[in-house]
Amino acid sequence: MDVLSPPAAKKAKSVHCNTLDDLFGIKALLSDEYKKEIKLIKVHSCELESKQQLQAVIQELAQKLPHFQHLKRVHDRNVLICPTADIKDTLEQHLKQHQISDHVLKALCRNVNVVEVPANSAKLRVQYDQMVKYWPCKFHPDKYAESLQNGSNFTSSQRLYHKRMAQLLRHLSRDLNQGQPVAICVDPRQPSIVAIAGSRNSEGSHQHCVMWLVDHVARSQQGGAWQSQVDFVQDEQQHAAKTLRGLPQNYYDYLQSHEHCKDLQYGAELPRRGSEKQPEDELGTSVDNLSKYGPYLCTGYDIYLLREPCLMCAMALVHSRVKRIFFLEQSKNGALASSFQLHAVKELNHHYEVFQFTTTS
Amino acid sequence: MAAFMEEALVEARRARDAGEVPVGCVFVHGDVIIARGGNEVNVHRNATRHAEFICIDATLAYCREKRLPARQTFSEISVVVTVEPCIMCSAALHTLAVKEIIYGCENDRFGGKTVVDVAAVVGQQINITGGVRADEAMALLKEFYKGDNPSAPPVAKKRK
Repeated sequence: MDVLSPPAAKKAKSVHCNTLDDLFGIKALLSDEYKKEIKLIKVHSCELESKQQLQAVIQELAQKLPHFQHLKRVHDRNVLICPTADIKDTLEQHLKQHQISDHVLKALCRNVNVVEVPANSAKLRVQYDQMVKYWPCKFHPDKYAESLQNGSNFTSSQRLYHKRMAQLLRHLSRDLNQGQPVAICVDPRQPSIVAIAGSRNSEGSHQHCVMWLVDHVARSQQGGAWQSQVDFVQDEQQHAAKTLRGLPQNYYDYLQSHEHCKDLQYGAELPRRGSEKQPEDELGTSVDNLSKYGPYLCTGYDIYLLREPCLMCAMALVHSRVKRIFFLEQSKNGALASSFQLHAVKELNHHYEVFQFTTTS
Repeated sequence: MAAFMEEALVEARRARDAGEVPVGCVFVHGDVIIARGGNEVNVHRNATRHAEFICIDATLAYCREKRLPARQTFSEISVVVTVEPCIMCSAALHTLAVKEIIYGCENDRFGGKTVVDVAAVVGQQINITGGVRADEAMALLKEFYKGDNPSAPPVAKKRK
């Protein structure tokens, strides 16, 4: 449905749903290890004379040349020895250097071949299906990764909400920010819009849209560092359960004046005091830190961006511990798809999921 | 320039005393410190308020006050900071094209040189010198992480 169009009868509404569904797709941007194309490496293999030799050979190889954890070491009578790149002189010398006993060495040095095998383990079934054509592999299916790959991770109502946010970004940018970037932060549990920010003439400055958004979220937690030219919504009741302080007044007024945004929820949960932060046992382990401890930075929040963030902004969102990032347009200096994939850097202490809206228009 | 590290360490200790991660930074223009600061993450509930960002904001205010062109001023600034700038700060400093970065100890969790090659991603080279009074900078961090970050939820604490 068009979030900004006038109210429509029920029948017409479902037509609108379909239009929005047609207008945007959502694609998970997974790190390279989930790519469909698989990497191969060249490996020495040999064919043993008899299967009786297998046990001794495998035992020694597992101890002294522990390669190929992601593959089956044996296929029929063929055994994987080591990557060809590891060998400096001859295979025999290499095996001697690794203290392979004489009888095993003899068995391994007959009928030696070079074969190509998958370099890494299979993360997805499509990869596994390709890999087994080269050599038998181990595979532990990961249901969640599969769902991200095929798009079944969202329910249809979640999907529709994400797409409404995509359309909202476009409209807010066009109508309130002269086509400049806009960002929205959502608590996905209700879902409820926590904060909105638009960049203001930030060319050459470090005050990008994302950096403002992070500061507006901080405002919802009685923080915030930057002096802002804009007014923010004031909470009417002092002890309300939710706060609207992360929302600039002009964005909020705009949304309130459009009939079709009235069913959207607004506001952030207030930070809890120390004693309220203890995890409740009945919540179980499946509940995220936002539900357990209340708001802390952007923990558990989703971020919707008109443009792919630069490296500074992408890292700001790592520091802020956001849950997911959705963006519409790639940018030349973008650090999630275009010039880098920050979310694929394993060494970082927090990782968010990244989705891009695909558009037909 | 390394002599200014003492001033950066003063800011780091001040941050520690305020219950913040003890990192301090000064921006040097000519022979003068024009901006100084430590981490202010907890007080602002904003994870981007690193010492370098405090100094970037202070420098912009300084330029407005003195009617100096910001872009040129940044190109003449030496950044002296107790810990290797993180990926976010390093990206900002490379984009602003400061003259040089001098840091104390490495940041192996999210350093803008150690973990990700920020200069390559941003496409801007800056002179970077590390290891200036690194032991003192590291000692401050170690002392801090022995205690708890009072604002972090219990689970995050365990990970550290």
